[in-house]
Amino acid sequence: MTRATVTRSGPGTAHGRYRLRHVARMEWIKLRSVRSTWWLLVCVVLAMVGVGIGVGAGYRSHTPVATAAQIVNNALGGAVLAQLLIGALGVVAVTGEYSCGLVRASFAAIPHRGMVLAAKVGVFGVVAFTVGELAAFAGVVAGQAAIAGSPVPQVSLGDPAVLGPVLLTGAYLGLIGLLGVGFGVLIRHTGGAIGALFAAMFVPMFLAATFGPAGIAVLKFVPLFILVNSVAVVTPVPGTLPAWAGVGVMCLYAALALTAGWRLLVRRDA
Amino acid sequence: MIEARGLVKRYGATLAVDRLSFSVRPGVVTGFLGPNGSGKSTTMRLILGLDAPDAGGVRVSGRRYRDLAWPLREVGAVLDARAFHPGRSARAHLAALAASNGIAGSRVEQVLDVVGLANVAGRRVGGFSLGMAQRLGIAAALLGDPGVLLLDEPVNGLDPEGIRWMRELLRSLARQGRTVFVSSHLISEMALTAEHLVVIGRGRLLADTSVAVLAAGSASLEDAFFALTSGATDYRADRVDGDRDSTARTA
Repeated sequence: MTRATVTRSGPGTAHGRYRLRHVARMEWIKLRSVRSTWWLLVCVVLAMVGVGIGVGAGYRSHTPVATAAQIVNNALGGAVLAQLLIGALGVVAVTGEYSCGLVRASFAAIPHRGMVLAAKVGVFGVVAFTVGELAAFAGVVAGQAAIAGSPVPQVSLGDPAVLGPVLLTGAYLGLIGLLGVGFGVLIRHTGGAIGALFAAMFVPMFLAATFGPAGIAVLKFVPLFILVNSVAVVTPVPGTLPAWAGVGVMCLYAALALTAGWRLLVRRDA
Repeated sequence: MIEARGLVKRYGATLAVDRLSFSVRPGVVTGFLGPNGSGKSTTMRLILGLDAPDAGGVRVSGRRYRDLAWPLREVGAVLDARAFHPGRSARAHLAALAASNGIAGSRVEQVLDVVGLANVAGRRVGGFSLGMAQRLGIAAALLGDPGVLLLDEPVNGLDPEGIRWMRELLRSLARQGRTVFVSSHLISEMALTAEHLVVIGRGRLLADTSVAVLAAGSASLEDAFFALTSGATDYRADRVDGDRDSTARTA
């Protein structure tokens, strides 16, 4: 048994006060020191790579011969799966603290709750965008590798028509991660927040679809629809948002969820 | 120094804390006693600014908690022994908290040593026993070498050796001039650890006095506690009087 002694170093040894960089360091340690973070991030990349390989392999002997755009579009379609994983990771980055009560230790360490949320959004955002981009590139590269030696034409990532959708798909994934953070702060419960996030992505699709062709006026603002029609495609489907506008709308959604979460966070009892 | 003035906290129709005022002085261990549901944990959360009071306020070292420059260097708290992410190691948990308040990484190893967890620091805390979790909580509270310590039921789950260790630790921390505020429902343990007591029932202050004064008029501190809280207890069985007397004598 260790002797129960603690020495006092005395007050006055520390100057200044806590800043965002201190809080960001805490959030970075928290994020990286949990294994599920790494598992989910690896799965995000694997989802894109897996779909890319599947698409490429499927089109190798397809007749008529697939176009270059078809291969890219379908490979980027892996983002439909990847977004669920990165969204869930965003949720869990917040609700994991609520489920065990760690959030109270975090707020006792940093009473400025807005700063804690800002640090979490900053740190998680950088990770989510980086991994989102990595996954999008890996998906397309995997798709290209899978059609190597077949009659299907290859594309170059240096081609702006290809690079654009790849970059924007990565950004879309990062934004879904931040949307997950927003839902986590709002709902504070892992199951509830993931359920609500997935519902927000899928339910409007089905609802708007019941309105037939007129539904597209609403559908073009639905996240999943934006992904598969505006963002993760070489040429956006006519009548839908341009790719940059689609990502802009996603930015708006993430900002709305985070702002609403922040307003509740500073008012609610922890 | 902790100073609570006119604290009121309501949860819906429940009045959890009712015009509560007290001060906790440095240099002695102050026990915070009360029956289950009397508002001890709520008061602790109000001190740390985790819950907002409906009226009144608390000052720690003369300031509102949210105005502290480096909160962990002023106040160390253990509210919930299990407040750790189960998948994180003890070392990573402490490192994250240390980073938030600009505390050197070497201090993490120091406090792990103090609480006797150095050899399991790399293990995931999900596998920790309740006693180990309590020790990790104490380690986190000591990280910033704070002048004020706030502990909610710190001996829960500790074995007899651990209880004695905790008692000595708390007393030595107080001797160093720190303010040590410890809630408990174990009166006999408080009789051994604390010199001063703040007793509440149904959110109201019942006593703010020394252990010696409170126990003076009764056979034991436990008897004094029951006499004090008899009108302010929601969840006590009716017929425990006989048992209570016999345990009080043997305690």
